Amino acid sequence: MKSFNHLKWLRVFLAALFFIPIFLLFVDFAVLIPEGVSKILHLQIIPAFLGGFIGLFILQIVLGLIFGRIYCSTMCPAGVLQDLVNRVFCIGKKKKNGIYRFKYTKPMNLLRYGLLAITLLLAIFGITELIVWLDPYSNFGRIGSSLFRPAVIWVNNIIADVMMSMDNYTFYHVTIKTVTTASLVAALTILVTFIVMVIFRGRLFCNTLCPVGALLSLVSRYSLFKISFDSESCNNCGICERTCKAEAIDSKNMQVDMSRCVDCFNCVSSCKKGSLQYRFKPSFKKEKEAVSSMATTTDPMVNTRRSFLATGATVAATLPVVSAVAKTMKKEDEEVESRHWPPVLPPGAINIERFKDKCTGCHLCVTKCPSQVLRPAGLQYGFGYLLRPYVSYYDSYCNYECTICSQVCPTHALKPLTVEEKVTTQIGIATFFIDRCIVNTEETDCGACSEHCPTQAVHMIPYKGTLTIPQVEPDLCIGCGGCESICPVNPDRAIIIKSNLVHAYVEKPAEEEAIEIEIDGFGF
Amino acid sequence: MKRREFLKTSAVAGAALTLNFEGLSAALTNHTLAVESTPDMVAVMGGEPEAMLDRALQELGGIEKFVKKGQKIVIKPNIGWDRTPELAGNTNPKLVQALVKKCLDAGASKVTVFDHTCDEWRKCYVTSGIEEAVKAAGGVIVPGNDEKYYKEVPLPKGISLKSTKIHEALLEADAWINVPVLKNHGGAKLTCAMKNYMGIVWDRRYFHQNDLQQCIADVCTWDKKPVLNIVDAYRIMHQNGPQGKSAADVATLKSLIASPNIVAIDTAALGLFNQVKKLDMEAVGHIGKGEELKLGTTNLKKVNIKRIKI
Repeated sequence: MKSFNHLKWLRVFLAALFFIPIFLLFVDFAVLIPEGVSKILHLQIIPAFLGGFIGLFILQIVLGLIFGRIYCSTMCPAGVLQDLVNRVFCIGKKKKNGIYRFKYTKPMNLLRYGLLAITLLLAIFGITELIVWLDPYSNFGRIGSSLFRPAVIWVNNIIADVMMSMDNYTFYHVTIKTVTTASLVAALTILVTFIVMVIFRGRLFCNTLCPVGALLSLVSRYSLFKISFDSESCNNCGICERTCKAEAIDSKNMQVDMSRCVDCFNCVSSCKKGSLQYRFKPSFKKEKEAVSSMATTTDPMVNTRRSFLATGATVAATLPVVSAVAKTMKKEDEEVESRHWPPVLPPGAINIERFKDKCTGCHLCVTKCPSQVLRPAGLQYGFGYLLRPYVSYYDSYCNYECTICSQVCPTHALKPLTVEEKVTTQIGIATFFIDRCIVNTEETDCGACSEHCPTQAVHMIPYKGTLTIPQVEPDLCIGCGGCESICPVNPDRAIIIKSNLVHAYVEKPAEEEAIEIEIDGFGF
Repeated sequence: MKRREFLKTSAVAGAALTLNFEGLSAALTNHTLAVESTPDMVAVMGGEPEAMLDRALQELGGIEKFVKKGQKIVIKPNIGWDRTPELAGNTNPKLVQALVKKCLDAGASKVTVFDHTCDEWRKCYVTSGIEEAVKAAGGVIVPGNDEKYYKEVPLPKGISLKSTKIHEALLEADAWINVPVLKNHGGAKLTCAMKNYMGIVWDRRYFHQNDLQQCIADVCTWDKKPVLNIVDAYRIMHQNGPQGKSAADVATLKSLIASPNIVAIDTAALGLFNQVKKLDMEAVGHIGKGEELKLGTTNLKKVNIKRIKI
């Protein structure tokens, strides 16, 4: 029996096993963590679902059916982050105000299942906004990339400055360009939400707003292993209830709401009598023996089933409304798109519709891009593109042979590209405005655009006198933005990448034969 | 004839003995008769980068003439692009490695290497092979990717560029050596010693906005001039520069030019370049503008050049 107390430490160990690499992935600005580590993100439920990793998705559901919501306490970085917040909050507090501050509440089924249903429904209509906002992994990603990462870089810069004054260049100064207003607001909002909810109501987010939590709760209630009371040894002290972050233990009635329990096992550890145990207890077995007590007490399970059905009915009734909302939202998008040039999509996105359907705005690509060319969008590309990454050529450009963003994308919103595929994927085309070009307006040499063009799609042709002026060969251009990023003309540049909303493909530049050049004199 | 030459040699050797031991030892190991004074420029052809560097420095009077004991030295190669050495986008790493070693052997207290790259700097440092080369030789390669490293410096002699931010490694150095690679350039037409200065400044966009050719000449008027320019022409990029597309843009000339005179060395490098591709002096405006700013001469007849084939 005592061995079950190790469960909590096993949970902590597993949480560390997943959380540390995920955390490092988001804060690592020096590309120290191998790209392959990002593969563990396919285990995240929403990415597995959107990325079509059906096997992994089913695995998670099966794990939920066997063990309950262990996912929420180990694999989910947002869940573990909340546990960390809770741990920090409890430091130096009396137990009553700290670890024993919770109490049982009724589940908010209408909210959680309603949100889950609406989220799924909107996604079917091609609006993935709610997934973007509610997916716990992506929210963690935004906190990581817009808050933790800048903090780590800030510390790095201090260390770098000190070390450099001692002539050591192991560390180097980094300027962050990838945090935008939108990503910062999004990250701060969710972090504050987590902190406030954790302090007052524990894992409230996971049991109300989180679509993954709601989804898993549908299976965890029938899980084979459950936490349950041993009614003989229990002395009704209520400590288990007060230590339950999910507010799922009703100690008076000796009930544990397994739909909300996140398998943190704090209750198991807290019970001095060993009355609470995590044991093999399939639902069909339990129903038989507890049928009498269930009929009298207000059974949360029955309640849940009823409200789930009610939710389903409500959602079904609002279906026409949702589809109408979906339509207007799409219309808005189109209006915005016709006013401005649309966003340049990262290589591997294939086309904007596909990309918007799959991208959850976790910003891992943004953090991994060595050129810092990917930025989270605000409202400049419309509501429908909010928090999605776009390629910003303001002061950077996409490295010719780099494929990192496509390699790390956990939802495959950016399809993994080989170098060969990358250098032939045309994400946009350079568009030249001669009336703004310095060679034309100032009549001086420039050529910065051509200089930065890896394919010489932008090349210099004779102009007045010895001057040369750029010309674009669209069939060679892959839209890397080297030209736009360096064009010295302000404020509107003379060469701008026009996005391909459906990525095109160019032929790989023909391998020219290297000619042997022999000279016999110096020429001077 | 032979006797006269012998006498002449001994006389000169005798003179060297009393005045300059180094000149004598150089003359003796060279098997050349030190009848000429030390050249202003040495051009070497036909060897590996290390061998050509050795020879050029020998002819110029040894590295000790430029690098003194205890000095902090900066070597500024071109590391602008995420390109392998074979594609000639950057200075040859073998040359950089040999030069770092020479400076350290000459007693330099520290040899620092950097460039303000165009492509992502870490990729450039690695792919170019220069980071590894510098470390292998015992030098220090420092980043140049952040504005923080650059400090404002006045350029009173500049015409379009009156001041600019220059990398602090150079500001702190006792002496620096400019080691460009010879390439075709879409904007400046040719990139060599003068154009290599664009890697020591932070704001290059200003150059492009305000008459690129003039600004290149202007930045070269900075007080702290390189003690030596060494042009890497082992492989040159004769078209599609400065980045290049493929090996077809590269010509292997196995050459090297060294001189303290920056305008003369660029003029000479243009002559070498013209052996492969036609390019008018007039088009490479910054060389002429450099002469106008009294940075050196484009008239190679006035320059004591030593040409060597090995």
